[in-house]
Amino acid sequence: MSVAELRVRQRRGTIALVSREVRRVLSLWTQTILPAVITGWLFLAVFGGALGGRIRQIEGLDYLDFILPGLLVMTVASQSVANASTSLFQAKNEGYIEDVLTAPLSAWQIVAAYMAGAFVRALTAALIIAIGAAPFTGAIDRPLVVAVALLLAALVFSALGTIIGVWADTFDQHSFVTSIVVTPLALVGGVFYSAQMLGEPWSTLTKLDPIYYLVDATRFGFTSFNETPVGLSLGVAALAAAASFAAAATIVARGWRLKP
Amino acid sequence: MAVELNRTHAALRVERLTKIYSDGTRALDALSVEIAAGSFFGLLGPNGAGKTTLIGAISGLVRIAHSRAFVFGHDSAWDLEARALVGVAPQDVHLDRFLTAREVLAFHGRYFGMPRLEATRRADELLETFDLQAKADTKPNRLSGGMRRRLLIARALVHQPRLLVLDEPTAGVDLELRYELWRYLRRLHGQGLTVLLTTHYIEEAEALCDRVGFIREGRIIDEGAPQQLVDRHGGDRLEDAYVEAMR
Repeated sequence: MSVAELRVRQRRGTIALVSREVRRVLSLWTQTILPAVITGWLFLAVFGGALGGRIRQIEGLDYLDFILPGLLVMTVASQSVANASTSLFQAKNEGYIEDVLTAPLSAWQIVAAYMAGAFVRALTAALIIAIGAAPFTGAIDRPLVVAVALLLAALVFSALGTIIGVWADTFDQHSFVTSIVVTPLALVGGVFYSAQMLGEPWSTLTKLDPIYYLVDATRFGFTSFNETPVGLSLGVAALAAAASFAAAATIVARGWRLKP
Repeated sequence: MAVELNRTHAALRVERLTKIYSDGTRALDALSVEIAAGSFFGLLGPNGAGKTTLIGAISGLVRIAHSRAFVFGHDSAWDLEARALVGVAPQDVHLDRFLTAREVLAFHGRYFGMPRLEATRRADELLETFDLQAKADTKPNRLSGGMRRRLLIARALVHQPRLLVLDEPTAGVDLELRYELWRYLRRLHGQGLTVLLTTHYIEEAEALCDRVGFIREGRIIDEGAPQQLVDRHGGDRLEDAYVEAMR
């Protein structure tokens, strides 16, 4: 078999694993997509509708316009982590990961395929939430910035989810990281408030959270309002994405917790 | 002095392979073995002898050092082409529960690089061969134990490997299915497929294998044609030779 033929086989194998992952997301849509959409809409209804009437404006923006970008980032982050970690954890826990591990796929291809399923779940949920919110919010100022920021969010957190799926030995461990790390990071990442509103040290601490940069860039894409230069925000997010993907590919290549 | 053989002539060549698990268990202890292309090789040994670890090392399921195990000349530790040449049916049956029987086979073929249509055609062919066509659209958790075992073996064959590795394929299956599998394996072997089989059924190795290795405590303690082993260890049958060798 020539190197070129092996590459063709690997490409087909990766596409097959991607389609398996996407299929899993779509066939389980009541568990994968629907809950995230309902949660997102509820957040918008409660914070944007019920409380938004009292808060009115923040940083010159209607509160619904202010929180929508952050809610989309929060949805993408949480759903990316949940999908990649759950799918890999199930495959590992039930043993059928051997089907993939015995195939001639590179580690990065395996990671990319698991991330692809997470992309579909996270971005589909975010898109539906955004469509539902559209009649109540303003037009998107810079759609490309929004798309890049949400894609980077999906990259960072699906790679992180892959690492969690590999690491977790029990379902408790698997849920623990999501509950203790990802959800709090999302909540303190400036989704519901502006970092400029906070005193020190909270303002600086908020800026240590990578989700803050994703929220700020997405908000800039929607409303042209930002606290940090968008280039810096996207740069930080791109670095985090590259680092998390490299870490995920490395641990899969080494077989850590996948192979004895 | 070790004899340097042309690695491309051996379906499997393992050179002083040691595997120590994180808990300190020495599963393989400088194990060496060579399986000629086209042979039907049986690996016999008690539980914990290292059979499953050796199979994991060959198929990429167990981490090993580089340059210790070669599949048709390809280093199984890092050369992904080695994976494409091996079809493995592990001892425990783990099948993707999100897929139907047909999809389990077709997706496996596609993971190994088969085009979608070819993989589906091959899946249907194997479903028929293993008498599973009536269950093609059934998910694995709805199949009987024997059916799941058959599906697992069929899965190992989808991508038409050159080395088929079967880890106790007939454990827990009824006699009729066992003989059916024997017939099928003989046919595949007759078509030139190299087979590595581990089993606890000595009569299975006697009936199928042209070479047999005895493995104990992570080492191959003897290896040869069944009759050669009987001649060396005494007794009338391979079982006697095995009992004697393990003593």
